[in-house]
Amino acid sequence: MSEIITFQNVNLRIQQKKILDRINLKIFQNERVAIFGKSGSGKSTLLKMIVGGYVPTTGKILFRQTPVSAQTIGGVRQSVAFIGQEPVIGAETVRAGLLLPFHYQANAHLFPADSLVEQTLRNLELSADILNQKVNSISGGEKQRIAIARSLLLKKDIFLLDEITSALDAESKAAVLKLLCLDNKYTILSVTHDQEWLRHCQRFIEIEAGHIKADFTDFHSVGQVSDFTRNQINSK
Amino acid sequence: MQTADISMISMIVGYLLLTIPIVIFGMLKIKLIKETFLAVLRMTIQLLLVGFYLQVVFQLNYWWLNFCWVLIMILVANVTVISRAHLKQKLFFLPVLPAVLLGSFFPVLYFIFFIIHPTPLFDARYVIPITGMILGNCLRGNVIGLERFYAALKRNQEEYFTYLTLGAAHKEALLPYLKEALEAAVSPTIATIATIGLVALPGMMTGVILGGASPLVAIKYQIMIMLAIFAGSILSAFLAILFSIKTSFNKYNILNLDIFAG
Repeated sequence: MSEIITFQNVNLRIQQKKILDRINLKIFQNERVAIFGKSGSGKSTLLKMIVGGYVPTTGKILFRQTPVSAQTIGGVRQSVAFIGQEPVIGAETVRAGLLLPFHYQANAHLFPADSLVEQTLRNLELSADILNQKVNSISGGEKQRIAIARSLLLKKDIFLLDEITSALDAESKAAVLKLLCLDNKYTILSVTHDQEWLRHCQRFIEIEAGHIKADFTDFHSVGQVSDFTRNQINSK
Repeated sequence: MQTADISMISMIVGYLLLTIPIVIFGMLKIKLIKETFLAVLRMTIQLLLVGFYLQVVFQLNYWWLNFCWVLIMILVANVTVISRAHLKQKLFFLPVLPAVLLGSFFPVLYFIFFIIHPTPLFDARYVIPITGMILGNCLRGNVIGLERFYAALKRNQEEYFTYLTLGAAHKEALLPYLKEALEAAVSPTIATIATIGLVALPGMMTGVILGGASPLVAIKYQIMIMLAIFAGSILSAFLAILFSIKTSFNKYNILNLDIFAG
């Protein structure tokens, strides 16, 4: 399996405060990785660093074995989807928000046909009627799925998901899991404590105080991590 | 017809107008009395110094002396813009300076060369007041433009980051904030242009009439100066944002939060 994302001795300090400490990590193509840990441990920061949300204080990040730099960050952002807990749709209507990135020069050639848009929405248990709705009238779970649909239409195959399951009901979570996890087509790094989501992951990384405390592949070991994480997982 | 002078006695009588706001502040216990006195004192001293200096400048009327004064006005305006936009001087002074310079100088030169052609060309009587009027209005537009642009980016960091992660080039991601900032920067000037003359006679027109010119000559000056102000405001605000972008973002186009003062 080829390395997709590599952290080499990455440290991040913001205003003298250590946020990430000596992160060494390799993510391989089509891996589904769950990242968990206490609030403020650096999980979301680690995800954001992959798409240039922060510049490492020391160390480097490689994407497909090429160092991420000012010249290559555009290419990284083309390939990697970042979806946060409260995704930004960026327009007044759902249709405008869904098609927003296709007006950027880099994505113009990917402008989707209506049929593809509707099929993608159906795969996420969304009706095409949602396209005419105002963004501020749809639910958090619908926004999450619109953000995922947008990334799929942009042909992204790497997903960084930051606590997206909290807004999804059982039915939509099942639809998202089926779409992203079936066929092993996508590389997924997700910050999550959701039991059902964890069952679909192959690798589990615990972050504590900005460094990697544990990195394992046995789902049954998840319950043996820190008390805090175990309680978080068991409560979901 | 010369403008009538105001005697010292008359000036003192004029200052008595301050009793109106002081009495109202006192009645309502509004704590602005000390601030009012300080502001009026500062205004008096500043205008006295400027008045004496300009008296000399106008008498000598050397083109290079006129330009020196204009340059000082631009430098002071530059510092004021950055300070009022709550941004750090050391990061923005050099990038914003050419924007203030071009935004005010270009309309002034256009006004002098193509509209009024005075003799001599850089007569202090024209260059200094016209620059002052354009600069004063550019200052307002610049402050609003810069403040709105960077404040909106700071407030909407997640939204801006989303645009970048969706594949927007830097300028594409910044466009919504630039549009909002420029709209805010020039809206007051557009509103002024639309209503000018209906409520009060504007400053330029008043000055020209007081100087002895006919109202018909005065309105020509007023229309021309409003157009110069409008062009200068938008040029200055646009360039200030454009020139400051390089120092305000890191290599991944993320806003550097250290640019904000205080």
